[in-house]
Amino acid sequence: MALPPARAIFVLLILSAFGVSVATQTGRLHAQTPEPESSQGEAGFSESEAQGIDRMIMCPVCPAETIDQAQVQIALQMRAVVREMLADGKERKEILDFFVERYGQDILGAPPKSGAALVAWLLPAGGVLAAIVAVFFIIRSMTRHATVLATPRLVPDPGLVPYLQLVDRHLEMSRGGPRTGGTSDPPGPAVESSGTEASDQTDPTGTDEKE
Amino acid sequence: MAELGAISLWIALALAAYSTIGSVAGKLRLSPALVESAQTAMYAAGLALLVATLSLVVAFISRDFEIAYVAAHSDLAMPNRFTWVAFYAGNEGSLLYIATTLAIMSAIAVWRCPEKFKDALPYTTAVLMLTLTFFLAVTAVMANPFDKLPFVPLDGEGINPLLTHFGMFFHPPALMAGLIGITVPFAFAIGSLLAGKTGDEWVDAGRVWGMVSWVLLAGGLLLGSWWAYTILGWGGFWFWDPVENAAFMPWLGITAFIHSIMVQKRRGMFRMWNIVLINVAFGLALYGMFMNRGGSVPSVHSFGASQLGWVFLMFLAIGVVVPFAIFIWRYPLLKSARNLDSMLSREAAFLVNNMLLLAIAFVTLWGTVYPLISRLTNDEEITIARPFYDQVNGPLMLGLIFLMGIGPLIPWRKAGLATLRKTLLPPAVAGLATVAVLAILGLHKEYALIAFGLASFVTGGILMEWYRGTRSRHRSSGENYAIAFLQLIAANRPRYGGYIVHLSIIMVTLGIVGTSFFSIQRDVVLSPGESTVVGDYELVFLGTLETPKSNRIEFESTVQVFRGGDLLDTIRTKRAFYPSFNMASTNAAIRSTPVEDLYIVPSENLPDGSVGFRILVNPLIWWMWVAGPVMVLGTVIALWPQKVRAPAPVPTPRRFAPGPRPSAA
Repeated sequence: MALPPARAIFVLLILSAFGVSVATQTGRLHAQTPEPESSQGEAGFSESEAQGIDRMIMCPVCPAETIDQAQVQIALQMRAVVREMLADGKERKEILDFFVERYGQDILGAPPKSGAALVAWLLPAGGVLAAIVAVFFIIRSMTRHATVLATPRLVPDPGLVPYLQLVDRHLEMSRGGPRTGGTSDPPGPAVESSGTEASDQTDPTGTDEKE
Repeated sequence: MAELGAISLWIALALAAYSTIGSVAGKLRLSPALVESAQTAMYAAGLALLVATLSLVVAFISRDFEIAYVAAHSDLAMPNRFTWVAFYAGNEGSLLYIATTLAIMSAIAVWRCPEKFKDALPYTTAVLMLTLTFFLAVTAVMANPFDKLPFVPLDGEGINPLLTHFGMFFHPPALMAGLIGITVPFAFAIGSLLAGKTGDEWVDAGRVWGMVSWVLLAGGLLLGSWWAYTILGWGGFWFWDPVENAAFMPWLGITAFIHSIMVQKRRGMFRMWNIVLINVAFGLALYGMFMNRGGSVPSVHSFGASQLGWVFLMFLAIGVVVPFAIFIWRYPLLKSARNLDSMLSREAAFLVNNMLLLAIAFVTLWGTVYPLISRLTNDEEITIARPFYDQVNGPLMLGLIFLMGIGPLIPWRKAGLATLRKTLLPPAVAGLATVAVLAILGLHKEYALIAFGLASFVTGGILMEWYRGTRSRHRSSGENYAIAFLQLIAANRPRYGGYIVHLSIIMVTLGIVGTSFFSIQRDVVLSPGESTVVGDYELVFLGTLETPKSNRIEFESTVQVFRGGDLLDTIRTKRAFYPSFNMASTNAAIRSTPVEDLYIVPSENLPDGSVGFRILVNPLIWWMWVAGPVMVLGTVIALWPQKVRAPAPVPTPRRFAPGPRPSAA
């Protein structure tokens, strides 16, 4: 798909602007994403792995903080325990189970994805899915409805014809000349929206019009 | 002072109650005089509340410790400027603040009411004043800031040290104003229903006040995050704390509202849906205020006072049930002017936008409430914190960003695939190219890649629109590009204000993604002279200066920052210990650049002079704070009144024959 030259240049400009700015940043990011000090070899685990586990464990005495965030004594001790266990070669699951055994299920930052607590995950997921499906069908039904309504509007009721002609004449007089269409057009926005607006307008010729 | 304040409070309550009853009675009995007196009572209530507010301020400044509230939140040593924060430090004062704000907003909203809505205005006044009556009743009866102590203490208890930070001067008032501000568009909607209006008269006022409360809430949330980041000392900015969630949800609701109200304004559609939406937003705002005042979930925000909680819960129940009853009663009147033309249209995109926003709100509500449910039903204690929200809300937010890119580019009514392809191609290419570039440079975290790609997509789309608009204006008017661009904004304020706000959301996204995926964190104990390496930085701890102050002991630690051997900065970080509160507050030293923040905070001062430091490198967080003023700028532009040119009749040239007429048949 060939782009016109101006657009192509514009696209290239956007790309290069982004590329340059992001590249300079990711240069730093790349330098930082690999594990910092206390790397795999030394203590047998990586700091970021320990921090990952820290983020899953809540501090028992602080409101809504993980032990990664809290600065109280018990949080520091628990972090030390996590690192000890990692150095011993324990797996993430074992460490988390260790804390659950001692403090209860609520020491974990999120419910486990098994057992009764699975409902904590299923309900929002199910709800969101249901919402997506619902919106899809709602939009679809709203568009179907539109095509059904469109047709009847094209033909005005024959009994209204003399009135429509009267309205056309009034419109011509007030606008200073004939215009294409007129009230024989499908009744559109002017008639339907904001009920008060139409009635607020005063009729220059003084005669009443049926709308 | 206490007497003047208390009397003004009661007078305001009486006036608000009168205004409520008078507006409705005046309307039902067709008595304009009654309606007008009710409106005057509303203005008078606002004045009375200003007097009450001033009384409390004067009481603080004069350190009138006989007033219980003043004694609880200030002391002789407190500098006068902290009166501002002390005012809303507790339940009583914050309720008075909310009531006064509501009174002022109501007065302005009623005064500036659009002409076409005037006949429904008394009902709107009644809704506003009913809410004010509730708040004033609760304040005067249950949490009166002017209650006196049986004796006069020699000194007060002092202000909570966490509140003395700059951010606290703006975060609570902005947030509370935003929450109570939702009452205004809500009142216009309900007023319209009660008056039996079938059209869109309330939409203009609804849109304006919706956006006002939106920006107040957004500002309040950002300021709260900024405060948490700089003063709480763990380098993060969002807890998913129940009270944070309680402010986040109404913000999501009002975001959905200000988008779908555009559809009603432009095309007369979504009439029923917008009523439902503003009801939901108002309910969530009431829930937010309930959580702050006695919700049963512990958090850093709880004001305590559990009896207030019950009262708010009842008002919340009424505030949800009654509006929905009114909605169902008036349901037959709310037919939309038109229907959707196509699934591929901006209207449909707005519906999807609403769905995503409400889905995020639902997930947040679920996460806040589920622990309680789990405890009550199967006696299991479950915590729902960041790990849960990251996994569930994360993808939804990415979807929202994607929609933010498409929405402004998709036409109204019906989008042809060819048009869409043309419009969406440059931004899509920008997005994919960004992903490719990043992946090549070594970034492999999928979520971050997608997020950056989407950010490029959205920004590319916005810049493309700006470029196109400026170019066509330049061509037609001959102005140079800079002037053309500014004129373009001036001529399309809602749209371009919206673009700027969308850009600010992208900035927030960058901050969130940067810190969530690329933060480096180290906790280390350093003695004076020791150094450590974090990321590219080498940090040398020089020493601590200990200074006893009037109500605290301050520890100021100095650290030198090197990179590649060059001294970048010498920064000072503070930690203050308050013996009377048994609390410590920290001032993190933050070296902030658009690329990343170097964040150093002392977590403990050990007796041997060494200090425990937490050191963080937070990429891109600077963008999140800069987004705040950009967001406000965008909103101001979007709200700036613009003269809507009346359509001028254009005479058709004679050579074109008019269309078929019925007379020809």
